[in-house]
Amino acid sequence: MSLALDGLLAISLVVLALQVVTGASLFRSIVMFVVFGLVMALVWARLRAPNLALAEAAIGAGVSGALLMLGYRRLRAAGPEATRPGPRSSRLAAPLSLLVAGLVASLGWTALGLPEALGAAGAAVVAAMPSQAVANPVTAVLLVFRGYDTLLELAVLLVALAGARAVEGPAGPADLAIPTMTGLPIVGALLAALVPLSVLVAGYLLHAGGNAPGGAFQGGAVLAAAGVLLVLTGRLVPHPVPGPVERWGAVLGLLVFSALGLVMLARGQGMLSMPGAWSIYLVESAMLVSIATTLVLLLGAAPGLRRGPLP
Amino acid sequence: MSQAAIYVMAAAAVIGAGVYGLLVAGHLLRKLLAINLLGSGVFLLLVALAGRSGGAPDPVPQALVITGIVVAVSMTAFALALLDRLFRETGQARMDVADDDD
Repeated sequence: MSLALDGLLAISLVVLALQVVTGASLFRSIVMFVVFGLVMALVWARLRAPNLALAEAAIGAGVSGALLMLGYRRLRAAGPEATRPGPRSSRLAAPLSLLVAGLVASLGWTALGLPEALGAAGAAVVAAMPSQAVANPVTAVLLVFRGYDTLLELAVLLVALAGARAVEGPAGPADLAIPTMTGLPIVGALLAALVPLSVLVAGYLLHAGGNAPGGAFQGGAVLAAAGVLLVLTGRLVPHPVPGPVERWGAVLGLLVFSALGLVMLARGQGMLSMPGAWSIYLVESAMLVSIATTLVLLLGAAPGLRRGPLP
Repeated sequence: MSQAAIYVMAAAAVIGAGVYGLLVAGHLLRKLLAINLLGSGVFLLLVALAGRSGGAPDPVPQALVITGIVVAVSMTAFALALLDRLFRETGQARMDVADDDD
């Protein structure tokens, strides 16, 4: 029974992936990609990876989907020609599909025949877990055993933000041209309920991440969703100059993580070693603020945000 | 057939769809979607291969994939900014249009 479910999910994944690359319109492809992300979240849950399921649903499907939709919208504003996907069949499509079928067959064959890795790091992590301050092994890997990866990942986020600002050029990003219905009374009521709830859920995910599925990335994505909602409803409006909140928010995670790493190095305990549960939560809180700020600024495609005019 | 084998084969097929889309798609936005699919396929392959042995799920590939998902989103955002600028400079967002100037 459970294998049948796995089979159905696997078939859905492959069909959705084919729809993304061969769909009739770009808009359809983006929608299919978001659905692909949601099915992927189910697959992670089936593979006993709930941390990944949360991250995929919030970041992979949610934030990526919103980014792609906004990118599509900016192109669409220039006219229907800009989003025409082009001729359906290229001359190379048939030979390439044969080659790709060969690639899939050889990849699957090789991967299924691979011997199981002996002495993989996972067993060592599971064995070392009882001595750790947190009980969630994925959080332990992210912050204790492989903290360097996570630090550099924050740097990647910051570089993506700086790079996006740099290539937008002096003219700035194209106007999002979002129709804002700020005057509707229901928008205010919706925000009054959803924004505090998002902050609460983000905080919960961060706190739960120590011992249960969750963590800074998942919480950051939820908090970013609240920020995007504020942008879409005109409560926050794009501004050409970033304010101190945006500047410090974007670098806070990198700063706190590096500072803690250097302090531990100075105390002779090895760079990026975590002195206890409090330090893990401190670094994760700073990461959450940075991830949320960076994602909102990337989604808003603006260097800074200011409070919008109240309706 | 085991659960891991099913997902390993699905991962291979998703990687194939990504490679095909990356090579064949004319519109850059669709190429970007294909790169994302390629990444998702690799993530699935990593976790599914680690799950073959049964027992407790291996946290190391899971942590790697969480890192990978965030890097993929950063890449998508940067690529969209590049696409936006390219479109404003050239008026084109496709790769299969003949260049007139060179």
